[in-house]
Amino acid sequence: MTQNIIDIDSLTKIYQTGKTEFKALNNVSLKIQKGDFVSIMGPSGSGKSTLMNIIGCLDRPTSGTIIIDGENISSVNDNQLAEIRGRKIGFIFQKFNLMPTMSALKNIALPMVFIGNSKSEREQRASELLNKVGLTNWATHRPSELSGGQQQRIAIARALTNNPSIILADEPTGNLDTKTGDQIMEILVSLNKEGKTILLVTHETSLKRFANRTVNMIDGKISEDT
Amino acid sequence: MMKDIFSMSLDAMRSYKIRTFLTLIGVIMGVASVIMVTTAGNSVSVFIADQWNIFNPTGMVIGTGTNGTVPQLSIRSPVFTTTDVEKIQQLSSVKTVAPLGIVPLNKILIRNGFLKWESRPGQTMYASTPSLLEILNLSLSEGRMFVEGKNEVVISQNVVDTFGENNPLSVGDTIYLRRVDGKTLEAEIVGILAQSSALNMFNTLSAPSIICPAIPYYSTYFGSNVGTILKRVVAYTVLLAEAKDTTQVQQAQEQILNYLNSGSSDADQYKDQSNDFVVITQQYILTRVDQVMNVIRTYITAIALISLLIGGVGIANIMYATVTERTREIGMMMAVGAKRRDILELFLFQSTVIGLLGGLTGVIFGATGSWFVVDLLNRNIQNLGGAFSMGSIPLNYAIEWFVIAWGIGIITGIIAGLLPARKAARMDPVAALRYE
Repeated sequence: MTQNIIDIDSLTKIYQTGKTEFKALNNVSLKIQKGDFVSIMGPSGSGKSTLMNIIGCLDRPTSGTIIIDGENISSVNDNQLAEIRGRKIGFIFQKFNLMPTMSALKNIALPMVFIGNSKSEREQRASELLNKVGLTNWATHRPSELSGGQQQRIAIARALTNNPSIILADEPTGNLDTKTGDQIMEILVSLNKEGKTILLVTHETSLKRFANRTVNMIDGKISEDT
Repeated sequence: MMKDIFSMSLDAMRSYKIRTFLTLIGVIMGVASVIMVTTAGNSVSVFIADQWNIFNPTGMVIGTGTNGTVPQLSIRSPVFTTTDVEKIQQLSSVKTVAPLGIVPLNKILIRNGFLKWESRPGQTMYASTPSLLEILNLSLSEGRMFVEGKNEVVISQNVVDTFGENNPLSVGDTIYLRRVDGKTLEAEIVGILAQSSALNMFNTLSAPSIICPAIPYYSTYFGSNVGTILKRVVAYTVLLAEAKDTTQVQQAQEQILNYLNSGSSDADQYKDQSNDFVVITQQYILTRVDQVMNVIRTYITAIALISLLIGGVGIANIMYATVTERTREIGMMMAVGAKRRDILELFLFQSTVIGLLGGLTGVIFGATGSWFVVDLLNRNIQNLGGAFSMGSIPLNYAIEWFVIAWGIGIITGIIAGLLPARKAARMDPVAALRYE
């Protein structure tokens, strides 16, 4: 029996602005197995980002349950949520979201600061990852001194720092040209081969070729799951 | 982990050098001004206390006036007789007592070669006894004290130069003193008072002065009709006394008042019924001076503290701007596992370091600045001349305020950083990541 690393059941998320309610997720159920490469697609406003934020432990559902790697995150406090986020999830964003004042190496080491690893442990791990994404010579450079592709590779390395089981990539190629974007996708594919579960949120249909499962969303519901 | 977050705070401050520097200036100015103001206040009070202290801590002034919570001396009615002086001298806690009578002069004259007289406007002359010097801590730089009953006087250094610097008076010279009643009395100068930095009536109330024996110079005779015989007695408006030691000051004060009020004193008979006997001790004067200084100091310190408060508002302002500007970074740190507490610490450390560093620099600036402030005060005092021309204000650091001002600087940093840091820590990570 294959293990479900993500188990979502009847998830609903309602945003309230003043007196108007907006149902971003409407009774969504989804199971993702360990080692899957799932692309979540849909137009903007379809609820794919909301779903990713909840899976990424950045947000909480209004109702329903969500179990990540055996932990029910519907009922944990802010601190526990941050802890789970730090250890089990690696984020890759469209805009890279690196710390502008930190070197590449320090950016990669950052997630380890919050779980309390020592400086030497952090530097060793960050160097390994820098090597893995092929940027060993750029350790001391700040993000502003790197190209978009290089920055995204640093972001990928940072997502791997605490050795999470799930990588969440939100439009990771959105700010890159096609060639660089494909290189980034190749890295994600190779990570998937190493056993990482990858969730790719995108509206670029061309990217679904990298995934082995595609979930389409419209109006807060899953419309298609192939 | 706290150490790592602390070093992240320092890194962030290094990245925003100008911003950090400007925020620091606010705290530096605040702390420095508190230190300068308190040190100046401290220096001035020490100066004033020193000045008064020279008129001896066991000293007291006896006169008539009103006794109340704030006793008031009026030196208008001459009531104390020589008998009173002698009786007070015999009290067990009194060491010395000396009368003080004012002899107003019209002119001081000297015989001068072909020109028979040369005159100068008169000075106030004080009639007393040789004990006066001891009570006022005055000494003679030349000569000796006068002998009572003889035509001898002692003059202050200022009187020496009365007839011009080229023609100074000296011991052995004879001068002629014309009183306001028209009488002219001859006097031999037998002694010259040493310059004193004491703030007492001999170099403040009337800088150049002459001290003389009551007989033959003092002529305030008091008409009295005690019983049926009209007596004429010498009476003084004020007596100066000193207690045997500092522990007996209060006792001496009580003994003197008891004697004066007992009905057996001459003064009690001559005194106006509406007046009280008043004994003001040096300790009381010091306490009053201290109280006044404290009120002044409290006000100016409060004003200085306001500038520290403004420094704090500066920190809060900048921290809010920084938190808003770094919203995305905050969201990103949360995404990689930062807890709310970590974010709070990150910003709180920054404002605390600003308070700590600004406070320390402020202390150094304040210490240096105090020197300039006291120097400036001294220059102004020199310009005043006269009364305060002797002695200068010593630099006396208010050390406790170094610690207090620094502490308030740090606390200001923490408080000013608290709200912005809380704002950062309470951010919704999703919204923060989306922030443009």
